[in-house]
Order: sequence, then C-alpha cells, then structure tokens
Amino acid sequence: MKFKTSYLVAAVVAAIMIAFPTFLGAYPLNVARSVMTYMALAITWDMLLRSGQISFGIAGLFGLGSYASILAVLRGGMDPLLSIVFATVFSGAMAYALGFAILRLRAMYFSITTLALMEIFRIVIHNMHDFSGGPEGVVLPTVIFGGNASALYWLCLGGLFITIGASWFFEKSKMHLALTAIRNDETSARSNGVNIFKYLLITFVVTSAMQGMMGAIQVQSYGFTAPDTAFDANFTLLPLAIALLGGIHSTVGPMAGAVLLGVAAEWLKLKIPYGHLIVYGIIIILVILFMPQGIVGMIRRAGRAAGRAGKQTGANHE
Amino acid sequence: MKKALAVIAIFALAVPAFAQSGDTIKLGGTWPLADITGKQGSMAAQLAVEEINAAGGVLGKKLELIVIDDELKADKGAAAFEKLITVDNVDVLVGGMASGVALGQVPVLKKYGKVYVTTGAAASSTVEKAIGADSDWYFHLHPWDYNQGASYAQGWDEIQKKYPSIKIKKIFLAYEEGAFGKSSFDQTKVLFGADKRYVIDGAPFKSAAQGGGDYGAVLEAAKTFKPDLFLWAGWDADALPMLEQAKAMKFNPGIYLGAPPGWPIGFGTSKLSDNVMFYGMWAPSINEISPASKKFYTGFVKKYKEEPATYFAPLSYSAIYIIADAIKLAGTVETNALIKALEATKYASPLGQTITFTPANIIKHQGIKNQKILQWQNGRQEVIWPFESATAKPVYPFPKWK
Repeated sequence: MKFKTSYLVAAVVAAIMIAFPTFLGAYPLNVARSVMTYMALAITWDMLLRSGQISFGIAGLFGLGSYASILAVLRGGMDPLLSIVFATVFSGAMAYALGFAILRLRAMYFSITTLALMEIFRIVIHNMHDFSGGPEGVVLPTVIFGGNASALYWLCLGGLFITIGASWFFEKSKMHLALTAIRNDETSARSNGVNIFKYLLITFVVTSAMQGMMGAIQVQSYGFTAPDTAFDANFTLLPLAIALLGGIHSTVGPMAGAVLLGVAAEWLKLKIPYGHLIVYGIIIILVILFMPQGIVGMIRRAGRAAGRAGKQTGANHE
Repeated sequence: MKKALAVIAIFALAVPAFAQSGDTIKLGGTWPLADITGKQGSMAAQLAVEEINAAGGVLGKKLELIVIDDELKADKGAAAFEKLITVDNVDVLVGGMASGVALGQVPVLKKYGKVYVTTGAAASSTVEKAIGADSDWYFHLHPWDYNQGASYAQGWDEIQKKYPSIKIKKIFLAYEEGAFGKSSFDQTKVLFGADKRYVIDGAPFKSAAQGGGDYGAVLEAAKTFKPDLFLWAGWDADALPMLEQAKAMKFNPGIYLGAPPGWPIGFGTSKLSDNVMFYGMWAPSINEISPASKKFYTGFVKKYKEEPATYFAPLSYSAIYIIADAIKLAGTVETNALIKALEATKYASPLGQTITFTPANIIKHQGIKNQKILQWQNGRQEVIWPFESATAKPVYPFPKWK
C-alpha cells in the first residue's frame, strides 16, 4: 500500500510541475529551470556517491554536453532537439571510454582525477579556436523553441524527469544493493559475487550522460556557450552543497536541497541585493554543521523519534 | 507517505508570490553586485535617480530603479530581466557589465524588445553579433573591443607625435585566458599589427580572479621579447600581484600598462602603482576639466563615503541621465517614441565627453567609441590622452625597479 501511495504522490507532484506554465509567469519559470538544472546535477552526483565514489567532474561533463550540442547544431547542422540526444550519448560514450581508466581508482584519487578531467575538457575546448570558438565561445542564431518560456521549462523538466526516473530505478532495483554493498565494503561485495567494475561503469556512464544532457538543454535554452560558462566550477560545487543540504544517498534528498537552496538564493537576492551571497554561504555552512544528515535525514530522524515516543506513550497507557 | 507529503510541501515552496507596484517610471537594472564594477555602477545609477527625483522627476513622476544582481552568471542575468520585464513591469532596462552575462540575456531582450541602455559588454564577435542589426531598442554605451583597440592605436600615434621621446615599436600583451583577454589580444593584433608599424607578441595567463595568480611564465616571455609597451588585460585582482612579480623579476618595459575594467580600491596608495599607465574612461582628475564629473564625484562621495574606483560608476550614472532626458523629450515611455528620443541624445557626461548614439559595425546605436589613456602619478589617476581631456603629461619611461 505504501509503495502505491508513493507513486500516486509522485504522479500528483509531476502533474503539478507539468502544469506550472499555466499559472506561473516567465520569471518563475526561468528560476524553476535553474533549480531543476541544479537538482538534476545533484541527483546524478548522489547516484555515483551511493557507490562511495565522490566525483568532482560534474562541470566537466556538463560543459562537454553543452559543447557537443551547440557544435552539433552549428557545425553539423543538426536539429537542436536531436543535438540534446546526441550530447547525451556523446557524454555517456566519453564516460564509458574514460571509465576504463579512472574507475580503477578509489577515494581521493578518483575525486582528483575527475577534477583534472574537468580542467582538461575546458582547456581542450578553450584551445580549439576555429572549431569551438575558443575563449570567446559560440552563439546560436536562435534559441530552441524560439525562446518560448513554457516550452523551455518543459524541456528542462523532461531532462529532470529522466534523471529522477533513473535515480529511482537505481534505488528500487538491484543496482541499489550492489552500490550499497560496494560503498560499505568492497572486498565483501566482491566475495559475494558483485561485479564491482560493471556496476561502477554503468553508474558513471548513466550519470555522465545525464550531466551532459542537462548541459545540452542549458545551452540550447540560452543560445550560447563559452568555456568559462560551460565549465563553471559552480556546476560542480552547487550540486554537492545541494545534495548535502537535502540529504545524500537518496533521490528525494537532492530534490529537497535544490528547491530550498534555489528558492532561498533567489529570495535572498531580491531582499538583500548587496549581501545575499554572504548570507547564502552562511546558511549552507550552518546547515551542514548542524544538520549533517541533511533535511531528509533530519525529517526521518524526527519521524522515528515521534514513532518511538508514540509507542512509549501507548505502553505507559497500557 | 510522510516522505511523499514532504515532497509536496517542498514543491509548494517553489511557487513564490510576486508583487506589483504603483505609479512611477520604473527602470530595471542588472549588474554584478559582488564585483566593484557592478556595485559602484548600481550605486551611481541610484544616485542619478535620486538627483533627478530631487529636481522634480520626469514628466511629473518619480523615477524608480529596481536593481537585481546578475551574479556574473548568464542564467541569473536572464532570470533577472524576466523578472524586471514581466513582474516589475519596468519601462526601460539599464546596466550590465560582463559579455558572458549579456549573451545569456539576449534571448530575453529579443523576446520583449524593451528599450535597453546598457553599460556593459565589449565582446563584439559574440554579443554584438547576437544582438544583430535589427535591434533598434538596444543602446550600447560601452565601446566594443574594436572601438577600444582603434582608439588606443590612435592614442599612441598621437602621443608619440606630441612627445618624440616616447617611441613604441614592440608591444607585448599579457592577457587573461578568458573571453575578455583573448578578444583584447585579437583586437590588438588586428589594429596595431595591421600596417607592420608595430611588432606584436603576447601570451595568456590565468587570472588571480579565476584561481590563477602566477605570472612568472608570461612575464618571462615578455622580458625576453623586450617590449617598448607592456600591456596586460585581466581583472583587478591581477593588478598588484603582477606588479610585485614584475618587480621581483626586474622586468622594466618602457611603458607598463594595465587594462582591467576596474582597479582595486586603494591601488593608488601602493608605491608600486606609480607611473603605471592604464586604459579607462574616467578618473577623479577629470573633475578639474568637467563640471559634470565634479558634480557626479561630489555626489557619490557624499552619499556613499567612498570614491568611485571604476568608470562603470560614471557610465551607469550617465545611462540614467540619458534615459531621463529621452523620456522627457519623448513625453512618454512608449518604445518607438523613446527610441527616437534616445537617438537624439547629446549628453555632456561626467566621463569628460558628450555622448551621442551612432552606428557601430553591426548595431545601430553605439554610444562611446573611445577610451582614454591614463597614468597613476603620485597616487592620482591622470588623463594623458585624449589631449583635450588631459590632466597631466606622461611620465616616461617607466622607472627602473630599485
């Protein structure tokens, strides 16, 4: 019953999100796109984290997807929508090739390598002046869907739904067991027959493809990209903060973190134009210091405490 | 179930309520408020609004300036314009600094066609191209990169003619590796290298503003090249560390010149700053030759208890006056009438020059087409060129490091 209720609620939330353009204007839809982009990136980061691997390469894959999409349109004459699919596959394929080298690494060695890869992608794009536009970047003649706010929102929402769907599949399938086993004790997982490399590779490829997809959606929505924009470190750092704030090792945690941080950031910016980034930073530090389990973890803990108190009260009455 | 309810609650939070406001002429501006250029630019714009309102407003109405931080991010800049146009219902848009943000805002601008008097964006190969020739509502005050390059070439020609002891043959450009630096280098090569009168070389560096700050390699390359004019194009964070490293390496070009959009506050108090030349549009010394500059400067210091440290302050101040004058002339904020009125702009600005709008390479309405060559002398920023705005003679050559 619980299982069915969750799906029902998810469907209601999805329906509300799809209907947003009918009652929200262009500005909230624009903010929502930003929130959804970071939400998707935070979820993908968390999906790999469930195996114990901490990636700092989100911005690298995001930027790679951006460039794959915009260059496919500009240089290859590809349809913009098709270019998003192309960028998704391209990012996944790159991750597949790189995975054979870097997924043998663990802990900080893996993290530093992903960070270095991000920088390598940026430098390569930066120096391919004639093809990629170099540091000045490239501009599309028009943005996808003629810049229609609702269509751009639905496009981004589509990318987010794919990401959430993949994350929930990972949570509900045997992938979850395999990744948790790898995270808890790799030796034990291997001795129990878990093909560690296979599961890590699948996760790395899927998450990278989705990061590339979000980059492609972003670039088609704004109609331009440049190395400083596409490979901005914020695309790595903010998803980490979002996942930590919301709660790691789940789909709903990064979702909660993205909505709260996204809305808080925009609200603070309007209320405190000249100091919002300081307040924003302090909030993130305080939350991580005092809520290390994240919002979802705190809610779960409060729920368990309430349940125990209820049982105790019941026992006392008896 | 609890988890599901939590998810619904979270999404409910994502639907913000936005307010409308009353009967004023509304201007909407975006600047990067955490950066000195945007912070002081927006403050100066607010100062202009208050001065205009104190003098009776425009068409019997008060001006209201709504400022939103673009955070130097394209998506934030675009969202800010969406809010200003669709939620705040502003009559005119103003502001801007970085080309990267401007590019993100272009689709929104094109969608609504709202009159925009912009103080930023110099990258012609991307921003001017993206705006295109048909965007009548776009009024660009800041010179494009090719405008700047052409004015520098003209400036150095005239300086060498007037001061024969100054001889420039070899120019080295150290440029930050981003779009700003690269476009500066490209324009320098085109404009100075075209007729072979100058020998141009250059090398990129990673700006301290972007996690760099080691200029050893680029300074070594420059030292080997032995330039008559050493020029660096980067950000304010590079100004002092690069000088420190140049001093440590005993790098002594004939002219040491910086071209950041803004200088760090207090740069002039450093002994290292003495006789460093720079490109810019304004300096406090212009107060001596321009009453408009003096009025702006006095008002700014009185209101904010700090000196304007970047030309984005007088530029943004000018933008507000230009808009106000155009609304007065048009008698309305209706787009077509306002565009016609803006086309008739003739504003004696605090920048020491009269601003009018003429066609650029692509866009129809380009405001300023030249920059100035200035020099730090005893902690003061002195104008060296153009000569009609000059406040001091150049100190040449750049003194040897002790």
